[in-house]
Amino acid sequence: MSQRESETGETAGTGKLSSWPLFVALGLAVGEVGVVMAVYPLAIGGLVLFAGSVAGILTESGYAERPWRALTALSGLFVLLGLVVVWTQTGTELSTVQSALASTDTVVLRGFSITGAGVVSFAAGLAGSSITETGRAA
Amino acid sequence: MAGEQLALTVLMGVFLVGVVSLVSRMENLRAYAPLTSGDAGYGDSAATGHKPSGLLRWLTTVDHKDIGILYGVYATVAFVWGGLAVMLMRVELTTPALDVLGSTGVYNGLLTSHGITMLFLFGTPIIAAFSNYFIPLLIGADDMAFPRINGIAFWLLPPAALLIWAGFFLDPLTGGTVEAAQTSWVMYAPLSAEQANQGVDLMLLGLHLSGISATLGAINFIVTIFTERSPDVNWANLDIFSWTILTQSALILFAFPLLGSAIIMLLLDRNFQTAFFAVNGGSPILWQHLFWFFGHPEVYILVLPPMGLVSWILPKFSGRKLFGYKFVIYSTLAIGVLSFGVWAHHMFSTGIDPRIRASFMAVSLAIAIPSAVKTFNWIATMWNGNIRLTAPMLFCIGFVANFVIGGITGVFLAAIPIDLVLHDTYYVVGHFHWIVMGMIAFAAFGAIYYWFPIVTGKMYQKRLAKMHFWLSEIGVVITFFAMLLLGYLGMPRRYATYEFNGLIAPLSQVTTLHQVATLGAFIILFAQIIWVFNLVQSYLEGPVVETEDPWDLKETGQYSREFEWFAEQLDSTDDDAPALAADGRGEPSDD
Ligand code: HEM
Ligand SMILES: [Cu+2]
Repeated sequence: MSQRESETGETAGTGKLSSWPLFVALGLAVGEVGVVMAVYPLAIGGLVLFAGSVAGILTESGYAERPWRALTALSGLFVLLGLVVVWTQTGTELSTVQSALASTDTVVLRGFSITGAGVVSFAAGLAGSSITETGRAA
Repeated sequence: MAGEQLALTVLMGVFLVGVVSLVSRMENLRAYAPLTSGDAGYGDSAATGHKPSGLLRWLTTVDHKDIGILYGVYATVAFVWGGLAVMLMRVELTTPALDVLGSTGVYNGLLTSHGITMLFLFGTPIIAAFSNYFIPLLIGADDMAFPRINGIAFWLLPPAALLIWAGFFLDPLTGGTVEAAQTSWVMYAPLSAEQANQGVDLMLLGLHLSGISATLGAINFIVTIFTERSPDVNWANLDIFSWTILTQSALILFAFPLLGSAIIMLLLDRNFQTAFFAVNGGSPILWQHLFWFFGHPEVYILVLPPMGLVSWILPKFSGRKLFGYKFVIYSTLAIGVLSFGVWAHHMFSTGIDPRIRASFMAVSLAIAIPSAVKTFNWIATMWNGNIRLTAPMLFCIGFVANFVIGGITGVFLAAIPIDLVLHDTYYVVGHFHWIVMGMIAFAAFGAIYYWFPIVTGKMYQKRLAKMHFWLSEIGVVITFFAMLLLGYLGMPRRYATYEFNGLIAPLSQVTTLHQVATLGAFIILFAQIIWVFNLVQSYLEGPVVETEDPWDLKETGQYSREFEWFAEQLDSTDDDAPALAADGRGEPSDD
């Protein structure tokens, strides 16, 4: 059926697909719900999915040659953001941050979940760049 | 608790693995397609790939036409949800006492869901359906400037709807600890800040996502209209629908991020002990200012593109060009600018400074002028024209008529002394329903009928479409006139019951008018059932459109670009497969 459009050569309506937009949206939605409602698994999973899909979509559309650097940058951002959230409750001193690890304060835990998402994405970025030789997105 | 979290973590892990495997499958599918550089390069030459079939195609498409169809289906589902919610409310209101719904809380939940669903999940998406499908065709672009961002904007909406409706689903599951939000669509503090119900948080998150979606879409349209026009389309001959979408996108760009920020502030107030909208903090009036600074532009975000649709379609069946094309555009731009200077007309009775109030009254009255310019231009277009009363045209005429009443009641409300009497009565509800139902929905119906042949390759049942129009118009008049009268009698809005004593309002007349409004609502419901039936039946079995000019536009020299595109589609196919099916769907044609 789709030859019909390539025949006209005008509309180029074929081959226009990408699996990333769905997951960018889903990652953002799940991550947002997880962070605000303090459901940490959703927060981490959603943000990791979001970071991965953004890296994927940037690569696919040619803005990045390989996804790993974008993934690493985003993970850095998450780590920092999460730490800022934690610092709002603990101050920036290392010892208080460390003792906050045992905290049950939901704001602190939300902060750590964002940081956690950053750490997971960072690991994924490292693993990805060392495993794939071509560096092409999965 | 820890067990739940663990289970969720495992589920999340399984889900992510699923995503990775699905994505790698997709990548194999498209592995032979060249990797183009830059988003805009999509349409270039990659016309070698196949669209996958079935569900996978719809989940992965970034084709503007497919995304337009997705928006349309999504908006229709939302319309059904919002419509059923309001039918329950209308049934409850046939008697003064609480006889049907069991609790006022249920009524409040339905009210909130109806308003938010219709404005954010039906109104904006149904407009996006037309703009996605047709703007690229009308301006001669291959696709939107950023096809993938287009996909993201759409896919944010289904999660948004699930979150906005979540309270209803979670209520039975959680034994009533999480229930539907009861904040009304304006979410006024302190009520919205203090309702402990988590359904409110979920709704706010959903709204936030829908705002991100609208903003992404707006950026995409602005860039598309500025940079993707074909060389022969310039600002002087850019079609009127694209002009209204351009203006709408600018309004979205200024209004929606503000709503998003206000929602975040409200979420912080609710969950993190901030005091933006607390009585002893930033004050509840701050919420009203922020909300209406977004909220009034939002009503024009919703009405300008329908005005563009009518300005586009109405001349086709009047046999004449749009009267005063330039002035219709100027009035669009004027409304766009003025709409940011009227928000406090929603707050006349809150005790704000009377001098500020008066200036908002002046600007609100002024905005009626460009609105009236449009009305007179539409009437002048039809004047002495060769009018053909097809279903799209009927909806356009109904649109203009309903705007006269909806607009003028708005002008009344913009006068402070009148508003102090009518504020928070059914008069306000009547006013904006003449506009949102009588105009926005009507323009959408008209445009759906007008472009039905292009999108589906089939023709709808004309007689059913006309029945749809007449029943809708009659229903609108009955329902919303009754509401205006209820307002004059002093019936307050947002009440599930009205067992007040006769000193407040004459109870028997109020009851009768409520029953009349409910009757009208059932007529509207019946009309929409005909509409859905007609669309589905005609899409499946309707007669195939073989002419490239199903509306005989060539006779009056009004044959336009989107039908030229349709003609190319017809030419390039040797069978009679409808456009939608042929567009990669892989369905066999009817033979
Ligand atoms: C001719 C221009 C218009 C004027 C002067 C106008 C004026 C007003 C005023 C003064 C109010 C506040 C009434 C009150 O709460 O006491 C109001 C409410 C409203 N108007 Fe309009 N209006 C106009 C056009 C529109 C349009 C085009 C739309 C929709 C697309 C619209 C939608 C609404 C809505 C939704 C409300 C109610 C908000 C709420 O409290 O829930 N209006 N209008
Ligand atoms: Cu307003």
